[in-house]
Amino acid sequence: MNQILALILKEGKVLARDRQALALLFAMPIFFILVMNFALEGVFEAGGKSRPVEVLVVNGDQGALGRRILDDLKRVEGLVLAETAADGSLISRDKADALISQGKYPLALLIPPDFSKLALSPSETNPENRAVVAFIHDPAMNARLLSGIKGAIREVILRRSFTARMAHRLKEALGPLALQSPMGLTPFPGLLNSLKDLEGDRAGEGRGPSAVLFQSLSPQGLQASRHPTVSEQNIPAYTIFGVFFIVLTLASSFFQEKRDGTFQRLLAAPISNAILLLGKLLPYYFVNLIQIALMFAVGVIFFKMGLGNPLALAMVSLAVALAANGLGLFVAAVGKTEAQIGALSVFLAITLSALGGMMVPTFVMPEFMKVLSYFTPHAWALSGYQDVIVRGLGAKQVLPETGMLLAFAGLFFGLAFWRFRFH
Amino acid sequence: MTNPIIAIDRLSKNYGPVQAVRGISFEIRPGEFFGLLGPNGAGKTTTFGMLTGLVEPSGGKIDIDGMDLCSRPREAKRKMGIVPQGFAFYPTLDAIENLNFFGRIYGLSGPHLKARIAMVLNLVALEGKARQRVGTYSNGMKRRLNIAIGLLHEPEILILDEPTVGIDTQSRNAILESLGNLNKAGITVLYTTHYIEEAEQLCQRVAIMDQGEIIALDTPSNLVRSFAKALIQIELFEALEDRLVLPLGKIGPWNWADEKKRRLHLETETPEAALRFLFEWREAGKIPLKTLNLLEPSLESVFIHLTGRDLRE
Repeated sequence: MNQILALILKEGKVLARDRQALALLFAMPIFFILVMNFALEGVFEAGGKSRPVEVLVVNGDQGALGRRILDDLKRVEGLVLAETAADGSLISRDKADALISQGKYPLALLIPPDFSKLALSPSETNPENRAVVAFIHDPAMNARLLSGIKGAIREVILRRSFTARMAHRLKEALGPLALQSPMGLTPFPGLLNSLKDLEGDRAGEGRGPSAVLFQSLSPQGLQASRHPTVSEQNIPAYTIFGVFFIVLTLASSFFQEKRDGTFQRLLAAPISNAILLLGKLLPYYFVNLIQIALMFAVGVIFFKMGLGNPLALAMVSLAVALAANGLGLFVAAVGKTEAQIGALSVFLAITLSALGGMMVPTFVMPEFMKVLSYFTPHAWALSGYQDVIVRGLGAKQVLPETGMLLAFAGLFFGLAFWRFRFH
Repeated sequence: MTNPIIAIDRLSKNYGPVQAVRGISFEIRPGEFFGLLGPNGAGKTTTFGMLTGLVEPSGGKIDIDGMDLCSRPREAKRKMGIVPQGFAFYPTLDAIENLNFFGRIYGLSGPHLKARIAMVLNLVALEGKARQRVGTYSNGMKRRLNIAIGLLHEPEILILDEPTVGIDTQSRNAILESLGNLNKAGITVLYTTHYIEEAEQLCQRVAIMDQGEIIALDTPSNLVRSFAKALIQIELFEALEDRLVLPLGKIGPWNWADEKKRRLHLETETPEAALRFLFEWREAGKIPLKTLNLLEPSLESVFIHLTGRDLRE
């Protein structure tokens, strides 16, 4: 009993003296709860009352139907329509493309100028001469969520179009009624046919095609030929998540060298500190690059994932690996014990991943979380990879993301050199 | 007179308010076997750290073969082989892999490196275990590998920090013999230890360090001669009042060796007379005497005389 007590007491003292590690042990789960809750809240509640999805509207309809549809959509719980920009001007197609490309909105609804005309009187002979409503969305957007939102909007448009068209046909049918013979065998043949027609249209089983067609488009300038696959959505995110786990390996390696005395022996050798650090860091940098290549290779081989522009892909990969190594050196510089390094590495790897949109897309997060995500290299790396792999962009277009990742790398290395103690 | 290969001038190191090394100065001649002797906490390892460039001095200067260690660290470090107190190598690699790595760090390569590896492995008798992961080595083997790494680049100076701590007598003797041979071959050795017998056996000159200062520096024989007094160590069952101990002043200078006043040191030039007096003192005062130990004049008695403390405290 005495021995157990002694052991407990000793372990308690050891733990209590490593206050930073202890603080991290408590802070980490609290932080996870907060971050994950806020982040996942978006997934579970996106499109709900508490977290409505903002949809841009470009309404060019010269008739009244487009406006009626928008009035109906405004009453749909979980949807918020944005028809004007921050400066009060109406949203144009170009503006909508830009806002979606920038990731500020997930979806835009494009109602063409002749919508009312075509929706009320669809051509019976030319199926292509029909009202077309377009959805513009980021190709990198979560497909499941997108399908739910589009479904809800489609439902409203079809219902309102059907009602309007029915009224229109009734009007058309009742118009020539006055010319019918009061002794005729079929007093309202036009009306009956119209109603039959509309019933079929409503159920999607009519004689002709639907009066309103729906089209999915990508913002201009982004690859519109196809939608991202699950692997194209997930593999870049998991790759970034994995790349930043090098932080633990790298920081632990420095700690072990210092603990085992080999670092001291190296310091006593005739080599400069810069060479020493470079020699220590480069293998981990290469490990990161191999890691990225391997994970993307899995995507290509097993999931037929496209890789996009090789130069752009290489730029993002080289920059993200550099940022991860910088963060690793920073943890090595500030972690004084093995426990501190372990806790801090895991804390950073998971928290930054969650904040950066590795686990849930940032656009479903609350506004402050979206802002916070810009302070993580993960968000920029994911945006870069999605630009290349999903949106089909080239080297020039990923320069901002690459630049931000290099800035993060510079910041981490700067802080690390400032805090690193060689002696 | 030849120029010193190591010249230390007013070297100091402060850790906050604590003065670990307080402005020490000494010189080591080429080919000398020099001992830095002192108890744990005397400042030896800090001095070792400053000499090897691991610890930044707070003040003072270190010249290695005429080169300032601060301004020309790479050239100065190339002249030194370092054997730290801990096992400074990679436990998951084997001996050859470790030596190969450290050899390259010191600029060796190709057949020369290969030959040096074979040579040092032979010197420390590890050829048979060269391909074994060093994490599985015994402490003695690890100590020998530590020395082998320090010798790999043929340094002119070998600096060792307590290289025989925690090993068996056989390994210890083998190491001491190797170091003696290396010194005979011309290598200057700076040896820090708290084992007096090692210093007496190997060192041509010894600096005694205590509380960050060098309190004596000479050959072991000169040190013993200059403080040529026998030392009597007395241990008591219980603490004594000072008045009961005062009569000991008739024999020679004495001092308490611990704060509990249960151990004391007594110096004398006439050990036999002193022992007779001590037995009478014990009978007369009913002194609770536990042990009584007479030390002939030696480096250990010199150290105790200078510091008032046992070297292993």
